Amino acid sequence: MLNDIQTIKNLAGEEIEKADSLKSIQELKIKYLGKKGILTGKLKSLGSTPQEDRREYGRILNEAKICIEDLLSKHEAAFKTLELNKTLQTQRIDVTVPGYFIPAGHLHPTTQVLDEIISIFTSLGFNVEEGPEVELDFYNFEALNMPKDHPARDMQDTFYITEDIVLRTHTSSVQVRIMEKNAPPLRVIAPGKVYRCDADVTHIPMFHQLEGFMVDRDIKMSDLKGVLEVFIHTVFGPDTKLRFRPSFFPFTEPSAEIDISCVICKGAGCNVCKNTGWLEILGAGMINPRIFEMAGYDPDQYTGFAFGMGIERVTMLKYGIDDIRLFYENDIRFLGQF
Amino acid sequence: MKASYKWLKEFTDFLLSPKELAHALTMAGFEVEGMEDIEGDTLLDINVTPNRPDCLCIKGIAREISAILEVPFKAITIDVRKQEGRGPEIEIKDSPLCKRYASRTISGVKPAPSPAWLIKRLESHGFRASYNIVDVTNYVLLEMGQPLHAFDLDKLAGQKIVVKTAGSEKTFRTLDDEDRKLGKDMLLIWDAKKPVALAGVMGGQNTEVSLSTVNVLIESAYFHPASIRRTSKTLNITSESSYRFERGVDIDNVAKALDRAAQMIAEIAGGRVSNLTDIYPEPYELKKIIVRTEKINSLLGIEIKESSIQKILNSLGFETKREGEGFIVTPPSFRPDIQRDMDIIEELARLYGYDKIPATLPCIKVQPAPVNKRQDLIRTTKNAMIRSGFSEVINYSFFKPDTLDKLNLPPDDKRRNLVFIKNPLRKEESAMRTSLIPALLNNVSLNLNHGEKDISFFEVSRVFLPSDLKLPDEIIQMAAISNNNKSAMLWESKHDGFYDLKGALENLFRDLKIKQYYLIQDTSSIEPYLHPGKSCSIIVNGEKIGSLGTIHPHVSESFDIKGSITILEIYDLEKLLEHVSSGTTFVSLPKFPYVERDVAIIVSNEVLVEQVNREILSVDSDLIEAVTLFDIYTGKPIPQDKKSLAFSIRYRAADRTLTDAEVDSLHSNIVERLKNTLNAELRG
Ligand SMILES: [Zn+2]
Repeated sequence: MLNDIQTIKNLAGEEIEKADSLKSIQELKIKYLGKKGILTGKLKSLGSTPQEDRREYGRILNEAKICIEDLLSKHEAAFKTLELNKTLQTQRIDVTVPGYFIPAGHLHPTTQVLDEIISIFTSLGFNVEEGPEVELDFYNFEALNMPKDHPARDMQDTFYITEDIVLRTHTSSVQVRIMEKNAPPLRVIAPGKVYRCDADVTHIPMFHQLEGFMVDRDIKMSDLKGVLEVFIHTVFGPDTKLRFRPSFFPFTEPSAEIDISCVICKGAGCNVCKNTGWLEILGAGMINPRIFEMAGYDPDQYTGFAFGMGIERVTMLKYGIDDIRLFYENDIRFLGQF
Repeated sequence: MKASYKWLKEFTDFLLSPKELAHALTMAGFEVEGMEDIEGDTLLDINVTPNRPDCLCIKGIAREISAILEVPFKAITIDVRKQEGRGPEIEIKDSPLCKRYASRTISGVKPAPSPAWLIKRLESHGFRASYNIVDVTNYVLLEMGQPLHAFDLDKLAGQKIVVKTAGSEKTFRTLDDEDRKLGKDMLLIWDAKKPVALAGVMGGQNTEVSLSTVNVLIESAYFHPASIRRTSKTLNITSESSYRFERGVDIDNVAKALDRAAQMIAEIAGGRVSNLTDIYPEPYELKKIIVRTEKINSLLGIEIKESSIQKILNSLGFETKREGEGFIVTPPSFRPDIQRDMDIIEELARLYGYDKIPATLPCIKVQPAPVNKRQDLIRTTKNAMIRSGFSEVINYSFFKPDTLDKLNLPPDDKRRNLVFIKNPLRKEESAMRTSLIPALLNNVSLNLNHGEKDISFFEVSRVFLPSDLKLPDEIIQMAAISNNNKSAMLWESKHDGFYDLKGALENLFRDLKIKQYYLIQDTSSIEPYLHPGKSCSIIVNGEKIGSLGTIHPHVSESFDIKGSITILEIYDLEKLLEHVSSGTTFVSLPKFPYVERDVAIIVSNEVLVEQVNREILSVDSDLIEAVTLFDIYTGKPIPQDKKSLAFSIRYRAADRTLTDAEVDSLHSNIVERLKNTLNAELRG
């Protein structure tokens, strides 16, 4: 009897291994485990087995059944996977048909660069402030140590609304406004539009600037260098060299003009840098004590630095744009590139 | 300021090549903007900043070079031999405007062309050669920075020079043959009877040196910078003289330059030099400025030795005396820009070398950064618009006032109150804009002309409206525009572009957390530049905050645009901040399933989708969870004045699973209601 079961088990095993389709597996299932199957027949005859053998015989029979079932389901699953894969192969799609999407718009390159610059300075603890674009002559010039009849006013061509009201020529106008309303310490950046009465191949009458300033006890000129170095290295890469040159702005002293090594030719000399290897990118300096006096700060207690940059200039260098007039023509062939 | 390399070498010994010199000057604050080789010499084009008038001459730049390179400076010797007689009497009537006036006469001169070397120097530095006498005055100006003027002595009435303002004198003919309109505060030089020069700006035709001149008077003076600048600006004359006077000349150099010129004229044009007449009532007092070594080092972030400080300052011609923990510094008369210790620190930094200052990061206390709601608002708005497929444009803030006519704005529209620019670049663009729409229409027109097909733009910018305060109101607006042609989704191309913009508005309001808003088609409040049937006002909390709609065909036409254009306009972006809903509140997830039923009805064209929604919800707002429009159909077999609307209605109870019987009864109530209130027919 026991041998008998072993034989059935072995035979079933062999047959299942040999089966070559899902169909033959299903047939084998019926042959062994179906209502009239071989193993089912043995189970039915269990009742007629002697009492003392019944328990042991039943256990072995059940074991064989589980064994065959396992084997069957394993092979069944394998054949099913095979068949599914065959079906999937026939459902090939053309992956080269264009995808569906609502095309997103483009942020203006000036906004993109401005946002990047703002995030660098906010990460350094600067707050963003704004001021009016139509500005009092006082904040644009006088409070910045440029009284009327001062030749330094020649450095900028100004649009006038009235004798005392101008379109701001720089975002430095925000400096004194902020200082008037706040006590130090201050860490502020002021981005925005500025205007110059000037239009030719390299000038447009409206452009963007970002002014930054920091006022506290014990702010040094070396700190100005450090902060601007962080900024330049973030925007143009850590290998960019900086060069500080003495310059003149009525509202800073000492004043500096900052050049970076040419991002186009890496300093070897090219058209963009007029073969000097350097590009002028920022104006900066230590805040002139006269500005503190105008704002009511004690220049013996506080020092600070300020810097300003033209955003279009940075944008042009960053993307290699060679014509500033493209910025506000709003040609989609330009805007769509950014 | 142009400067000859060879001429500079006459004043100081240095071994640098022109290129090396240019670099050294640039790194000391005198940016060399260009170089030009001319016959064995090189001209350097040096940008002299407004604070350094002392360097608007060869001598000044040479003095600076000797300080930068630490090489000796060679002064030229001036020696006026054989002085005889005296020139006219000088009277300064407006002494605050003229602090020094000196003159010498030279009698028996022979006007003629100058020697070749002199002409060459003048011409290479941008001066036109004239008679020798005038050439010498220009030469001395170039060399020593002091503007001089030569009068024909015999044309001066009454042997007298008077320095006073124009007063009631109305016009004056300058030597360029122009009649100049005088202001009463303009400073003039007079003889006994008439004005003979615009002081410091330009001489007069009546006393000009000519070929027949025999005796000349040379003027050397110090005029008040602001006064000269006002005259020069008012009359729109910038001369080599006025440029230097308005920046400030060296008052102690006035007589020296005069002597140099007199000597040269006598040598070149012959003649006898008179004694000096020099009216200088209050000699310049040198400043004494205290500067502490500790302040120098702490401000610059360096450690410089006291001996180096002294050496640098002395090389610049500053006298120094040690005092306590610093110095008493006396800057020379040619440096009136040095007023306080910071000015001295700047000079030290400049010659010490900015490149030697280290880069450090400031020690600062951490402060919480205040939230800038306005910036956040602008950023959120821009991002929402980008996501809806609109690209950002930026337009100029000024526009042509007559574009407002093109927009059909009535005469009393407040956007016709303009802020005008006194000196616009182009006459037409003379006002600050009060609407973003015209520029956007121009942007669309330009891009259509380039053959672009899909145009969807937006702009976030300020408009400028006059106010009762001194400065105009600057209001941040957002406007978007589209030509309703989404070629990327051709199968959708038949829909009305209005809904693109409406979708963008919905996106925007979702991001800005504005939940309650209405679109009202009230003809009386609709913008005159919009299509009366395809536009509406956007209402938030009872306030009209913007407009949405298709541009009126007349308006598109006046901007040379064919086809339909839709716009969205928010009049004051910041106002939206008042309407932002407070934070989101979580609602528990439903525990029981929903049942969905559709209903398709035929209604008159006038019935709005919003009306149907309201009617459906009014039947049972607790059990009806959502009503969604999924089809609008017009055309056969629907009658012409009607449309078919299909809605999907979702039913759900919070506390139980709804039975079919319950839903059936609700649904038929809804159908009944639509039939009764909206005269709807059920579509079979
Ligand atoms: Zn380059």
